[in-house]
Amino acid sequence: MSQMTDADNSFIQEALPAFISEAQEQIESLEQLLLQLEDAPGDTELLNALFRCAHTVKGSAGIFGLDRVVAFTHHVETLLDKLREGQIDLTPALSTLLLQCNDQLRTLVAQARDANTADTPEAAAERAALVERLQAAAGHADDKGPAAGSAPATGPPPASPPAPAGSARCWHISVAFGTDTFRNGMDPLALMNYVRGLGSVANLVCDIAAVPPLDQLDPESCHLAFELGLDTDASRVEIEGAFSFVRDDCVLHVLEPGATPGPLGEILQATSGVCTLVVNAALNKQTKAKQRDAAPAHAATVAAGAAAAIGDDGRFIRVQADRLDSVINLLGELVIAGAGAALLARQTRQGALIEANAQISRLIEEIRNGTLQLRMVPIGETFSRFRRVVRDTAAELGKDVSFEIVGGETELDKSVVERIADPLMHLVRNALDHGLEQPAERVAHGKPGQGKLTLSACHESGSIVIRIQDDGRGINRERVLARAWERGLVEDGVTPPDEDILKLIFEAGFSTAEKVTNLSGRGVGMDVVRRNIEALRGTVMIYSDPGEGSRIEIRLPLTLAIIDGFLVGVGNSKFIFPLESVVEVIESRSSVSTPDARGRRVVELRGRVLPVLSVRTLYGLETIEPERISVVVIKSGSHSYGVMVDVLLGQHQTVIKPLGRMFRSLRGMSGSSILGSGEVALILDVNSLGEFAAGKQPAPGKTLDAANGGHKTLVRN
Amino acid sequence: MARRSKASAAVPPAPPVATPLALPAELTIYTVGELHPQWLAWLVQDTAALPVEVPAEVKAAAVEQVDAAGLQLLLSLQRALAERGRRLQIQAPSQVLRGGCEALGLGAWLQTQMTEGALV
Repeated sequence: MSQMTDADNSFIQEALPAFISEAQEQIESLEQLLLQLEDAPGDTELLNALFRCAHTVKGSAGIFGLDRVVAFTHHVETLLDKLREGQIDLTPALSTLLLQCNDQLRTLVAQARDANTADTPEAAAERAALVERLQAAAGHADDKGPAAGSAPATGPPPASPPAPAGSARCWHISVAFGTDTFRNGMDPLALMNYVRGLGSVANLVCDIAAVPPLDQLDPESCHLAFELGLDTDASRVEIEGAFSFVRDDCVLHVLEPGATPGPLGEILQATSGVCTLVVNAALNKQTKAKQRDAAPAHAATVAAGAAAAIGDDGRFIRVQADRLDSVINLLGELVIAGAGAALLARQTRQGALIEANAQISRLIEEIRNGTLQLRMVPIGETFSRFRRVVRDTAAELGKDVSFEIVGGETELDKSVVERIADPLMHLVRNALDHGLEQPAERVAHGKPGQGKLTLSACHESGSIVIRIQDDGRGINRERVLARAWERGLVEDGVTPPDEDILKLIFEAGFSTAEKVTNLSGRGVGMDVVRRNIEALRGTVMIYSDPGEGSRIEIRLPLTLAIIDGFLVGVGNSKFIFPLESVVEVIESRSSVSTPDARGRRVVELRGRVLPVLSVRTLYGLETIEPERISVVVIKSGSHSYGVMVDVLLGQHQTVIKPLGRMFRSLRGMSGSSILGSGEVALILDVNSLGEFAAGKQPAPGKTLDAANGGHKTLVRN
Repeated sequence: MARRSKASAAVPPAPPVATPLALPAELTIYTVGELHPQWLAWLVQDTAALPVEVPAEVKAAAVEQVDAAGLQLLLSLQRALAERGRRLQIQAPSQVLRGGCEALGLGAWLQTQMTEGALV
């Protein structure tokens, strides 16, 4: 390290952030794999993936000279290796230890960001303690080893003491290439030469038994198989890595040094390895079958998880987020410019030009969709981070909780995902802390002792809905109300409708926990949660049945950048509705009904009363209302309402620009957009308009009962 | 493996020399496709005429490029001959061919196929 040149140093400086972010991902998957493993102990795929992750971290940390990371990971790796070889079993205690080590690893990697971070004696001591425990756990394996000899012949011999790292060891490799090896562009000859690079090859034997005679040969099919001894200090992963390109269609066995029992030793000397191959193939099948039998229930889920973890390599390109953002910004400009060009083209009335422009618009739209897709990430990654939180929190609170994730593949904008993680974390902790009861209390109420917490996500009419559901005690409305009176959130003695009571818990300074834990209950959480969600143009709803549990529903827009809009005109002004919230448009006359004091009217739509708002009245537009108007029917949440507009201008790709500071307080507006003509259009916030239509928003001078009551008042008018 | 001994081959009228098979410069996956029918034809027509005890000669001096697919073809030829109760004799294998066989653990095999004409 001391002879590092400046060039090396600058390379390391440049590459370090990439290493850190990659290492963090590896650590993240380590954690996930550990948690999955708790459900499926002994799953070989998971154990292998786990080992690979740890190994990758160690390997790349080595490149950057992060000695602390390397040294620590080495011990973790040693233990994982023993787990993988079946020499020790994963106990809950061991799992906890490994999770703690993973946390330590995360800290170490974070420290690597700043090379000058000195290792404090406390941190070193903590690490040393962990290492000691790791060694104790691993050492225990040696004693236990011979007892665990139930492994089949393919398994490594339990008694073999691990050779000290660094010394060359003789591995036995047996590989039968798949028939498509040549067709896939792979050459076993080159591969064997590569393997030679790992160490010294002894006893290489080509098994030609499977090669058919010339008249039966397809010259492009591979029938070769090899047995060889390899003296190397490379690890199993490195050795298997040599075969990674043919791994899918070859039968590979890498036997631990010292693992070769008598018969295999003889086979090594034999000129034809046919017996070994047959035996190996049979054993391989047997092992696989055994795995299948062992964990049939987990097979599908675990395999999927492991496949994702393992197959991730090479399918992703790492792109800096700001580069992507600048592309999306440019795209926004392009959409606007495209709309402008299309408008000009229409004005020229030249068919060919209009057509060419239409073609461009289509392409822009495709690029737009594709580019926005780039920013979409599945929310599952964020969700699965909570597994650990739930596990640890439940343990701390002495609760038994089964945590379920549904719809983790649902995608949404990366920036939304990042900003929703904290509020979600709070809600999850809240559910664990306040929602779910102690097992004894649950049993006393006739519920199973194990609580259930479900985190789910799905797409619903252009937005994403995240639900946090528990089967706990639910929310005690009386207590909420009492607290609200006490805190002055509601005037003393006034009882708001049930659903409004629940909403009170999102008010600032509200906390009903009788016991303040360090998890939640400080009363600073829920209002921050609501604010964070609203900052994302989202909404949060809470439902609860006392004794049955509660459900919190977060509704978020898919992206913050561009929406499909529906452009309408009122007088000289232009407004945009998010297209996905528009249900239909009906023709009406402005004289159909008289507006109430707040400019609301009603129309009859297929036998039902539809509250209708007038943009003109709402925003005091001083133009004359035309006789014939259109009512745009909007669906917001569970109810519908209409908005009266003068003209319909059709679909419009809307690049959302935030409103200036002056307009922040404006109700019912969520943003603005620049039209192709250069005009500014305001984007209407369908949710807050909906609340207004339902009469929920406080209006001066007039008290409306509640949602339904509001409608009735209108009808009477 | 089906070891059908074809000892009852036609009584040879003893024309001792058949055209030896000359290996091309490139014995790889790129050429095995076209070599296969040629070699098969050679196997069926040329070597069939030989008396059983005369090894089928293959001239291997020209080989400049070799890979596992090429060597497998050679192995396959040898096996086909063996099934017909014949021996393959590889003459003057080039350095590349020797190296390739060595790398695939076929060094010993190559030696066996050369012993007859080891003088070269």
